[in-house]
Amino acid sequence: MLARTDSVSGVSLGKALRLAGARRTSDRSGGVESGLKRSSFPNRGLAYLLLAPQLFILLLFFFIPSVRALIQAFQLSDPFGGGVQWVGFDNLVALWRSPPYWAAVRATIVFMVALSVATLGIALLLAFAANHILRGRGVYRTLLIIPYAIAPAISGIVWAFLFNPSVGPLAQVLHSLGVAWDPNRYPGHAMTLVVVASAWKQISYNFLFLFAALLATPPSIVEAAAVDGAGPVRRFFAIVLPMLTPTLFFLFVINVVYGLFETFPIIDATTRGGPAGATTTLVYKVYQDGFVSLDLGSSAAQSIILMALALALTFVQFRVVERRVQYEV
Amino acid sequence: MKTMAKACLALAMLSTPLGAAQAATTVEFWHAMSGELADRVNELVDKFNKSQNDYAVRAVAKGTYDEVVNSMIAAYRAKQQPAIVQVNERGFLTMVNSGATLPVAELMAKEGYKINWGDFIAPIATYYTKDGAMMSMPFNASTPILFYNKDHFKAAGFDAPADTWKGLEEQLYAIKKKGVSKCAAVLPADWEWSYLENYSAIEDQPYATKRNGFDGYGAEYVFNKTKLVGHIEQVKKHLDDGLMELAGQGINPGQLFIAGQCSTVINSTAAHAAVEAGAKFQWSATFLPHEEGSTAKNSTIGGAALWTLKGKTEPEYKAVAAFYDYLGKTETQVWWHKATGYVPVTSAAYAAAKAEGYYKDKPTREIAVLQLMRGTPSDNSRGFRLGNSAQANIAIKEEIMAGLLGQKPVQKAMDMAVERGNQVLRQFEKVNAGKN
Repeated sequence: MLARTDSVSGVSLGKALRLAGARRTSDRSGGVESGLKRSSFPNRGLAYLLLAPQLFILLLFFFIPSVRALIQAFQLSDPFGGGVQWVGFDNLVALWRSPPYWAAVRATIVFMVALSVATLGIALLLAFAANHILRGRGVYRTLLIIPYAIAPAISGIVWAFLFNPSVGPLAQVLHSLGVAWDPNRYPGHAMTLVVVASAWKQISYNFLFLFAALLATPPSIVEAAAVDGAGPVRRFFAIVLPMLTPTLFFLFVINVVYGLFETFPIIDATTRGGPAGATTTLVYKVYQDGFVSLDLGSSAAQSIILMALALALTFVQFRVVERRVQYEV
Repeated sequence: MKTMAKACLALAMLSTPLGAAQAATTVEFWHAMSGELADRVNELVDKFNKSQNDYAVRAVAKGTYDEVVNSMIAAYRAKQQPAIVQVNERGFLTMVNSGATLPVAELMAKEGYKINWGDFIAPIATYYTKDGAMMSMPFNASTPILFYNKDHFKAAGFDAPADTWKGLEEQLYAIKKKGVSKCAAVLPADWEWSYLENYSAIEDQPYATKRNGFDGYGAEYVFNKTKLVGHIEQVKKHLDDGLMELAGQGINPGQLFIAGQCSTVINSTAAHAAVEAGAKFQWSATFLPHEEGSTAKNSTIGGAALWTLKGKTEPEYKAVAAFYDYLGKTETQVWWHKATGYVPVTSAAYAAAKAEGYYKDKPTREIAVLQLMRGTPSDNSRGFRLGNSAQANIAIKEEIMAGLLGQKPVQKAMDMAVERGNQVLRQFEKVNAGKN
């Protein structure tokens, strides 16, 4: 599953870099895409050979585990590998009837919506600001990308410490402002903490794409609008934003996938899914049920559901992003 | 992977003294100790390796108790398991029913060691014995006790904590009101152990039916109908009134006590090592409080035992048996007890520590032993034998915490905790059908 996500973002990262490189090229996506589609190998064997390493890695880390998870979702198994019983849809039915699972679904939705809005909003603001700075643009850009390079477990621990109500300096600031900050007690505070910690890391990624997309918006159109008397705000909402929609939609999907799968280390380091399960998202529950509780059947059933979600999202992304949300210039 | 393991092994051999390097057989011992306690485990293994030339044990820290079980299961399925693994007390039924372990009594008898199993301290022996045979080697046994900041108590006008919850509560309110400390108490990370299980044992309240599961499958949690409900209400009041703090992730609650921030903490007696090393104030410890008018029963053990995994060679089992024999020796036990704060697992070791006057200097080190051996154990205080206890506790803690934080009424939270806990028990019985 993670392999899937990575390959999606990997491809797109390349695309973003190309976009950033091809700054102010007016026929950007059309030209790049048809160029890609046109290239073909006369020698098919060579093509397969070149694909083999990647396919092998996918097979090892994605296909084999997925198939095993799919099988396990319909089994009740002794973790030691002793006995296996086929239980049909029991694991899925149990999930459907489980209030904690639905609580995790709700927590995940709240988490992902808050995460996407915060990440996109702030990244857009930063990208816009960085685009308008003339001196030291490269420095700002580099600084803004750094959080992406920090291991999530480490950033999670740092955030948990900064906001710890007993010892954290930022928590003390909040207390002195009269906020009864305590993420160990209040579910809302805990959710805020994991959203902030997760967004902090993902903003870099979003920033990179939005910055590249902003560079690629043709200045001639913006200038023409300015000549026609449109103010900066109007120019942004009427011209720049619509031209950013493909990138925004792509980032939205990436953020959702990030929120669904890759925030496990941050949640584990900051709240462990607490208090009272308030920040237990679907992926955290997979870990808790499978790795802590050793309930492999239920855990596998949950990862199958997550995998279906990821597939659906990827499908939507390819369908909608590539075909619909396109404003050719 | 294999070459990497070999490389690691080679490195380890290089770094050990000559005596150990010549050992004929090396076995791995996966454990869950960290910090000070991990250093003590390494010391223990080192002592064993130097005590003879035939065998060597290699201690490998594998993270928390849960992580050790996980790694062990993955390794077992891949046939790369260690010979010895440390599993916490609540993993007992999971390990016994796994079919992956060798009972320690059987192993020692086969290898020709005569161990006096009757000398093991009763609450520890009961926990790890099934059908009259010791299943795993008791290793680090503990029980929760009440640590307190003497300076804080003195400043509030008290010599020591009261014996009862009601008395202690009044003192905590006084500490808070007089501004001695903003944190009169802190909820420990393993509060299910101290505030739920041990409270029930000490107050002689049933935790689950079928003698807390000792009578086999079919037990059901019943703590939502006992005095425990009132206790949880009281803890909630302490949280609401700001007497008690929640430490949260990344912060060890015991550390808040050691830093002098919190006046009391109910923690394992094994916290002695850290408190002695870190506390820069006058501190002491005492027995867990009990309710007014009730006769306090014994508390129950925590900690872990060493399990021997199947699928190893005969020479390896000889090494394991030699290590266990060394562990059970009185000198080893006394050393371990002093170095860590865990209780000695045999009566002989306890008697030896007492005879040399150890408890005159360190009276708090005896509290756990006295508390464990207090009175005659009842069906409610003997311990717990419930399947998949780790999983059940996640659900139970989640629900009761929701009650403590006021997200739902305490009674309702405890009803939900019982319901979800019972689901886990039934699931465990389904997976392990026929192994009762």
